[in-house]
Amino acid sequence: MTQMAFNSFLVVMLAVPVVTLISRQWTKARALPAVLLMGSLGVGTAVAAAGFWRGQRFTVDVAQVASFSFALSVDRLSAFFLLLICSVSLPVILFSSSYIPRHYAGARRHWLWVLLPLFLLSMVLVVTASTPFAFLFGWELMTLFSAGLILIDGDSEQRRHNIFIYLLMMHAGAAAVIGAFLLFLPHASNFAQMRASATLMPPPLRTAVFLLAFAGFGTKAGIVPLHLWLPRAHPIAPSPVSALMSGVMLKTAVYGLVRFAFNFLGGGPSWWGYLVLLAGGVSGLLGVLYAIGEHDLKRLLAYHSVENIGIIYLGLGAALVFTANHAPVWAALALTAALLHCLNHAIFKSLLFLGAGAISDAAHTLDLEELGGLQKRMPLTGTMFLIACCSIVGLPLFNGFVSEWLTFRSFLAASEMTNLSAAIVLPLAAGVLALIGGLAAACFAKVYGVAFLGRPRSREAGSANEVSLPMQAGMGALATACVVIGIFPGLVLRSLGTLTEELLPGALLPPAATSLSSVLPWIALFVLVLVAGIAAFKRAKSLTATWACGLPGLDDRMQYTSTAFSKPLRKVFSQVYKADRTLEVVPGDPPYFPASISYRSVRTTSFEKFLYRPSVDAIVTVALRLRQLQTGNIQIYLLYIFAALIALLMFMRWA
Amino acid sequence: MTLAMNAVQVLLLVLLAPLVHGVISRLKARIQNRRGASVWRPYADLLKLFRKEDLVPASASFVFRLAPIVLFAATLVVAAFVPLLYGSALLGATGDFVLLVYLLALARFFLMLGAMDGGSSFGGMGASREALVSTLAEAPFLLALMSVAIVARTASIAGMVQWTMGQNFFQFSAVHALAFVALVLVAIAETGRIPVDNPTTHLELTMIHEAMVLEYSGPSLALIEWASAIKLTVVMTLLIALFVPWGMASSLSAVAIAIASIVLLLKMAALVLALAVVESSVAKLRMYLVPDFLGVASALAILAVVFTALMR
Repeated sequence: MTQMAFNSFLVVMLAVPVVTLISRQWTKARALPAVLLMGSLGVGTAVAAAGFWRGQRFTVDVAQVASFSFALSVDRLSAFFLLLICSVSLPVILFSSSYIPRHYAGARRHWLWVLLPLFLLSMVLVVTASTPFAFLFGWELMTLFSAGLILIDGDSEQRRHNIFIYLLMMHAGAAAVIGAFLLFLPHASNFAQMRASATLMPPPLRTAVFLLAFAGFGTKAGIVPLHLWLPRAHPIAPSPVSALMSGVMLKTAVYGLVRFAFNFLGGGPSWWGYLVLLAGGVSGLLGVLYAIGEHDLKRLLAYHSVENIGIIYLGLGAALVFTANHAPVWAALALTAALLHCLNHAIFKSLLFLGAGAISDAAHTLDLEELGGLQKRMPLTGTMFLIACCSIVGLPLFNGFVSEWLTFRSFLAASEMTNLSAAIVLPLAAGVLALIGGLAAACFAKVYGVAFLGRPRSREAGSANEVSLPMQAGMGALATACVVIGIFPGLVLRSLGTLTEELLPGALLPPAATSLSSVLPWIALFVLVLVAGIAAFKRAKSLTATWACGLPGLDDRMQYTSTAFSKPLRKVFSQVYKADRTLEVVPGDPPYFPASISYRSVRTTSFEKFLYRPSVDAIVTVALRLRQLQTGNIQIYLLYIFAALIALLMFMRWA
Repeated sequence: MTLAMNAVQVLLLVLLAPLVHGVISRLKARIQNRRGASVWRPYADLLKLFRKEDLVPASASFVFRLAPIVLFAATLVVAAFVPLLYGSALLGATGDFVLLVYLLALARFFLMLGAMDGGSSFGGMGASREALVSTLAEAPFLLALMSVAIVARTASIAGMVQWTMGQNFFQFSAVHALAFVALVLVAIAETGRIPVDNPTTHLELTMIHEAMVLEYSGPSLALIEWASAIKLTVVMTLLIALFVPWGMASSLSAVAIAIASIVLLLKMAALVLALAVVESSVAKLRMYLVPDFLGVASALAILAVVFTALMR
């Protein structure tokens, strides 16, 4: 029954693009692609839920029909990520069903409905594949389809450059992933075989596999310093696509790393864990610091994806360290934390990007300095955005807190280990996580406070109206998920525990992991009763003007701006930013009042300056040197051929 | 019985918090050679504010009125974490130190939002500064509590207190000394006292907490003031409970509780006196020196955590 549902889910997903193209002239069927897609995603969610909670397995094997190594198999790990993809995409598509017709017409709309299901299907393929070929096929398609989706929004010079960087880095990453698979040869026809052969591999080879997987999946996940494409590619996509890319696509990379590091290799030496931990800490801190400096909402959110991937990597790193030190129980705790944060981040980050879509729909700008006062004009969108902000900051009663709490607890547990370095490094990582959390709180107080509170800073923001019902419903579903997981984490935690116990031999999720589920509902109830009670008893409010130091007329421009809000933190962490500033003052008469002042501040991250620029320059220099070989003179080419022939003959003679 | 005792502890904390505030200002006034207001003044203030109407800026949204309530509610929950007279607390077993730190963060996050909803420069200014201070305070706060948790081998606040009670005072470890100093520094920043912030300042440009609540009035302001009094008391009792819990009742007999009350009163008096003396003799730091101040706290907290591993 569920197997059939899984098959029909795949078939319908494949059919949506065809249906879109066939029905494109038929105006009555305009909603058909969205409805079909949501229907199949609903089925996919149900199937994945059965796989995740009840442990059912599904397989689709092409080898039974044709001799072709292409198979899908859903175990609990795959089911979890399938659940993540389907359940988060469903509200995003619901949002898009209204957002896309409002913003895209004609061919662009059709292309969106063709590429969206294909993009989703490629992600499904990645997390369900059970042969390297199927995995890599999905992996490459995922990159190409997402690039296509970005291109729909326009193809100016700047955008093409950004997409070029995206594709370039993705292909470099894919090369590393392919390399990781190739190292398993000749036992690489399916995942089960790879798992079996990994135990017989010599340690250097295992390390090579791990490092290639770490680099390859790290590029996709956007860990620092491989994150360069992320803040370029994510913000320029249509908002629902940004939501899918940041919320869902990045998680396929985490899936890949978990599959390789835990499922295939079964853990390794401690330094693998420390490497992942370091990548996580650096990504988390730099991601959130760069985000604080942004005032373009979508770029800011993209940097927060780097930060959250960092938090996930902190959990993964801890799990690897625990595995290396033979502490599978604590490894289960850390891995559960990382996986739960994947799900949580998928939910709240999609919600945030959909909220950004709603803002641009209503106020026609994503520049925080032009927004303000939206909460009064878009009460529902604002409330859901607030829930998402609380979640990403990791405040109690919202889902982000549960996974961060689990990560903290796993760091605390490390203190019980006999290995001295682990007992020092892991608890200190908790300090890094706390700093990341504090910075994220500052950043989202800024985002929500500047965009939604106070008074509008532009006419567009002042005339913004609430978005359409499907868009609200899409965001509402995600916001509900944030709160439900935040108050009743046990719903997901127990099955996640089973999943990690399957992944890590000898593991058992410690009972402390679920202790939070017994206290959070009570706190939630208490806060709710108190809020309702005080709200009922409080005296009637009366409206007044904001205090303006006794002067009349408080200007909208007198509010604190996003840039001003983040200035103290940017000043404290000025080492990270290093802005290139240019100040031009045209002197006036008298000289104390300049005729004009222009100030420009460009931030190029140190990575671009010191890591990427030199290597790009080196490649270009080598390429220019090599160009001298290509003279275009046919005699020269004949000489090359002759020389090559001689060289080959000599090689054959002596080799 | 234990449950009732735990509930009484929370009630005591909540109801006596304004008194602590009153005593501190009275003491400060005396040290500064002023007469000062009655120690009961904060209660009168709260009562007065609760009777007044709530003035809300015309541009503000529901967040403006919600923020004080969330702040108050979260602070109340935190109050249920800390053992006062007896070695357990209402949320003692399930409430761990991470939850405590993040509940305070929840309260602060909403206060920052409420401040920005007023739509004036001052609210944004206060929120921005609060963001700076609280961001840098969070890591040392968590690490310092964690080092104590590691030594006590439990994550719950009440568990740590019970463990310390079983120890000999004179075998006080270096971890505890480091964590104590770090926590004191963090507590000053968290509760907005001198030298990080001046709670009695009247100059908008130097305010942090006061700038955030500038737009608030009536019952909303009362909730904020009460919550900040509770927070101060909770943080002080947390310091007492974690580092000098001796004297707390180990059984629920009337005598033990009476002794515990007197001992607690003495400890609180000592802490209040220290606070008043420091606040009267030290100048407020320039805002960009606060990161250095919290940097010291972070360094001490990191050392405390490192020592837990080295001293096993």
